Amino acid sequence: MNAIEFIIAGMLAAATPFLLAALGELVVERAGVLNLGVEGLMALGAVLAFIVVYQGGGHFLGFVAAGLGSAALSLIFAFVTLGFRANQVAAGLAIGILGQGLSALFGKTYESLTVKALPRLSVPGLSEIPVVGGLFVQDIVVWISLVATFAIWAMFAYSKLGLVIRAVGENPKAAHAIGYSVITVRVLAIAFGGAMAGFAGAYAAVIYTPLWADGMIAGRGWIAIALVVFGTWLTGRIFLGACLFGAVSLMGLAAQATGLDVPSQLLSSLPYLVTIIVLGIISADRRLLKLNGVASLGEPFER
Amino acid sequence: MTKLTRRNLMKAAAATGLAGALSSRMTFAADEPLGITLVIPSPVGDVGWGHALAAGLEPIKAAYGDKVKITILENIAEGPDADRIMTKTVADGNKFLVAGSFGYQNGALQIARRDPSVTVLHASGFQVAPNFSPFAAKYFQGTYLLGMAAAALSKTGKLGSVSAFAIPELITSINAFTLGAQTVNPDIEVSVVWVNSWFDPAKEQEAAKALIAQKCDVIFSNAQDTPSVIAACEEAGVYSFNLNSSMKKYAEKTYLGCVATDWSPFFKASVDAHLAGTFKGANAFLGVAENVVEVVDWNPAVPADTMTKIKEIEAKIADGSFSPFTGPIMKADGSEGVASGVTLADPEIIAMDWHVKGVATPLPK
Repeated sequence: MNAIEFIIAGMLAAATPFLLAALGELVVERAGVLNLGVEGLMALGAVLAFIVVYQGGGHFLGFVAAGLGSAALSLIFAFVTLGFRANQVAAGLAIGILGQGLSALFGKTYESLTVKALPRLSVPGLSEIPVVGGLFVQDIVVWISLVATFAIWAMFAYSKLGLVIRAVGENPKAAHAIGYSVITVRVLAIAFGGAMAGFAGAYAAVIYTPLWADGMIAGRGWIAIALVVFGTWLTGRIFLGACLFGAVSLMGLAAQATGLDVPSQLLSSLPYLVTIIVLGIISADRRLLKLNGVASLGEPFER
Repeated sequence: MTKLTRRNLMKAAAATGLAGALSSRMTFAADEPLGITLVIPSPVGDVGWGHALAAGLEPIKAAYGDKVKITILENIAEGPDADRIMTKTVADGNKFLVAGSFGYQNGALQIARRDPSVTVLHASGFQVAPNFSPFAAKYFQGTYLLGMAAAALSKTGKLGSVSAFAIPELITSINAFTLGAQTVNPDIEVSVVWVNSWFDPAKEQEAAKALIAQKCDVIFSNAQDTPSVIAACEEAGVYSFNLNSSMKKYAEKTYLGCVATDWSPFFKASVDAHLAGTFKGANAFLGVAENVVEVVDWNPAVPADTMTKIKEIEAKIADGSFSPFTGPIMKADGSEGVASGVTLADPEIIAMDWHVKGVATPLPK
């Protein structure tokens, strides 16, 4: 396996934690709510999934626990921001810190233990192709994430539910006036976003890096939030962004392993640099942001 | 990274609050115990750097019982926050401070200078004061031995290392590993991936996989606190080893060994000296001879003749008749690193900023 094959084969799995969390945050932001607590929600999901898997509950139950736990924590965020119209930025940060604190607390006795990851499933035929074959050998969660990406794209593009979420985010007053409950939609969106962040954390802790260590999310929740903006609130672009980020981070490591004469500090910062550059390019195009941006993002809803 | 600082700040506030409560109670006790505080940047865990430091304090607890009060403050980010926390713990009456990370140096040194009755041991620094001793382990003595074993086991002739930061301590370990490997196979090649982080298990595991993809079949987990690299290597079926504390239970089949550190002789001696009032700050660079560094949990797959050689060299390192850094040693850029017959002295080893010939990855500048 050479460096290129390594990047191609590993790209999707590397992107999955970002992708899952970013898809959740996309739905939240589309509904007009900015939840900056993704990092903490991921950490909580990670530790819950790890504990369940470590205790022999299996990966499926681990993901269920992560989804439920992180959704529950995100509902506290929903409660203060929607119920009491608290500042979403401050509340999101607080929830994030709370999530990290809880994860450290729950994970105390599980520090640096390991579990078994899931086997990889290959697509017959396609996985035999030279060079790109590795792309078709992934664990089940990666495949599910791809399906989820497609489902969320289809929901926003074709379904009434997608339109309702967008209406609530674009113009909550109008959505309210035609009879939709803005608060209900936003609560559900936040819970969905929380569950997705939980899944993302679970993937990181029981499949991608099957071990628990306090702080192992290491900023990935923030990257997920950045990816939503990076993708200008469009599902397809978020997917591409996640893949790009995953590929660029693997590229940095592969380049070093092959002995390429590039400073490793530059390679380590490359994913972030690429993200900043692309964000800059996107932000330069005001029309694009206006077209896809969410009009009421971060504003509390008052009747 | 506001969130990390905040989280740590909250935790630390809680932890120091607790320490404060304990020590203020202690002041009323007739025979005041010695307060010993260990500050480390990562969680303690079952393995790794923090674990090794915490374990080094255990024998002191056993030896002194109620006469000492040990507090461990974990997850303290390097920087102003750490300075504040260390100042607080000393103000609370803890007179013996173990500052467990390089980045604590300036804050810890200030504390030592302000209060001569305090004794500070500081990990991997270079500053010395009458009541301030930097300490570091001669990991390179162990990695040299593991290099010999690695070369004997490698089928591809390519070894790899996942390394945290390109600082002399880690570079020295890689160099010795390479030199040891070359005694068995002169053509061996060592690739290094610098992850530029002390703690990012996912990235460390990706780095290990990147090296394995390049056909490296023995991986040196250089300064990772979790079994990220070790577990990935077991899964891929390649040999691996690490520093500080054994991770054998994470890789039953392919665990090559551990350059273990046992800080207790050094900690014990320092506490004894502090209590006797004879502590003298000095640069403590400790290795096999001082019983601080020892290779443990050797994999039985290492060929017997190699093992015999390893044991011979180990004995020579222990009695001081052999150093891995005895010339002639060529640098990776082709120039002379150590002249023939010359042995590098400790200060030169501590300051090493070049790779030996055989390390394929260029050193980040």
